[in-house]
Amino acid sequence: MLSVPLLEKGEFVRPAHAVQTGASPLIAASSVGKTYSTASGEKVLALEGLDVSIAHGEFVSLVGPSGCGKSTFLRILAGLEPASGGRLSIAGDAVSGPSSDVGVVFQSATLLPWLTVAQNTSLPLRVGPARGRAPTGVQALLEMAGLKGFENKYPYELSGGMQQRAAICRALARDPKILLMDEPFGALDALTRERLNVELQRIWQASGKTVLLITHSIAESVFLSDRVLVMSPRPGRILADFAVTLPRPRDFASTPEHPDYLRLTKEIRSVLDHA
Amino acid sequence: MSALDSQELTVEDAKRQRVRASGLLLKLAGIAALLAIWQAGVTFLDVPTYILPTPMQVWAALKSGLFVPLDSPTGFYIPIASTLANAAMGFVIGSILGLLIGSLMAEFRSVETVLMPYAFALQTLPKVAIAPLIVIWFGFGNGSKIAMAALLAFFPLMVNSFTGIRNTEPERIDLMRSLSASRLEIYARVKLPSAAPFIFAGLDMAAVYALLGTIVAEFLGAQRGIGVTIVQAQAVTDVAGVFAALIILGALGILLHLIIRAIKRRIVHWDERGR
Repeated sequence: MLSVPLLEKGEFVRPAHAVQTGASPLIAASSVGKTYSTASGEKVLALEGLDVSIAHGEFVSLVGPSGCGKSTFLRILAGLEPASGGRLSIAGDAVSGPSSDVGVVFQSATLLPWLTVAQNTSLPLRVGPARGRAPTGVQALLEMAGLKGFENKYPYELSGGMQQRAAICRALARDPKILLMDEPFGALDALTRERLNVELQRIWQASGKTVLLITHSIAESVFLSDRVLVMSPRPGRILADFAVTLPRPRDFASTPEHPDYLRLTKEIRSVLDHA
Repeated sequence: MSALDSQELTVEDAKRQRVRASGLLLKLAGIAALLAIWQAGVTFLDVPTYILPTPMQVWAALKSGLFVPLDSPTGFYIPIASTLANAAMGFVIGSILGLLIGSLMAEFRSVETVLMPYAFALQTLPKVAIAPLIVIWFGFGNGSKIAMAALLAFFPLMVNSFTGIRNTEPERIDLMRSLSASRLEIYARVKLPSAAPFIFAGLDMAAVYALLGTIVAEFLGAQRGIGVTIVQAQAVTDVAGVFAALIILGALGILLHLIIRAIKRRIVHWDERGR
């Protein structure tokens, strides 16, 4: 159906949670720390002793109170900021800067308003290491995200949900191994958000990417993830690691009524409340 | 539903059109009243024409300068062409230099540190006061007119491109960094377009300032130009002629503003329709 390279291998098989113990993880962070110094010279400890390990193809959510440093961790993973300490590697290589193995979806869609949807989506194929090569595969991505027919529209002509879909397409344009998402649906209304959650699940299942999603929403994290990591208030570290084994594909008609779903949301909430 | 919407829209449109038409009518009435009071005041109070001519006399002066062949030595067209050519040349030179220096200051802290004090000092200096110096350096020919226009056009461009580039949304820069874009790519593909609304506001100011700079330099000595026309009319107390030249200048200023605005609407179309 799609011409995204990974998809041609046939149906993507979600790794069992037990994979963790076997092959080496795709993302490995051990005792990662981050210290900021403010303008007044004060030191702020944002992250401390953060251990995270994510397997190939996993969908992992990171939930935590505001200001716990989850966005900081994502920025470090994306190579936008250096860690102050600890070890962090992607596919065995230490993270030293932005990498084409990683696609980032930001809080706001961050589409460039002077570019059309197609131009925005193909931006990763025209800058940096991709400079000078002919962009390919964007059409298939846009089709997958339900944006066919909107290629030549400008971002201001799109709804918020469609803008964020285009942003996801852009993050997938280089066919990265990992998709990092920083509260991508936070600004959307509840219905659009649910619809995009279902879409994201489909895109993830179809593409076989490894996803790390940062979110405020416990419901969203349980609905989408294989694992939900709960972070403590600053300095952020992992308090709990919940495996979510709800059957897939999940949908908003039945999944929220599943006993496991109810149990997990309750348990995660209780960890957050007592953090 | 949609039919109702469109009907409401036309009602709204008609209302807006009526408001706009009545606004225009009011403005025209205002102008007519002003001219009538002016004419009546001068006639009844017996104001000498070498102090204040009547609108009819100004109109006569305008006619004698405009309703002539393009190459008439007493017409307005030769001075208009001279002033516009010098102002345009200065505008282009000053704008390019302003954009360049403003960009360098925004991009490199060291350049900002070195140049900012001078920029600030020159900014607060009434630049028209430099005109005599410019005439000494560039002579009474076109050089001093172009230099003066360039000098006045330079500052709004420098300040606005600096401000615009520094105000680029940090998320857009993060996006480009996450794609391993080079510094030049970030500047050309994100910062410069992001600053475009600021830059166009600067160009709008610069166009009028360039005209002002040219006129000031012409006052100090020139073979031709609107400034020369004004000074010559003043020398023979042809106050109606001075008024006519001022009206021409005002019209030129409005024309330049409209041209810049039309270009802006084409290039920065994404800015006005709400981001």
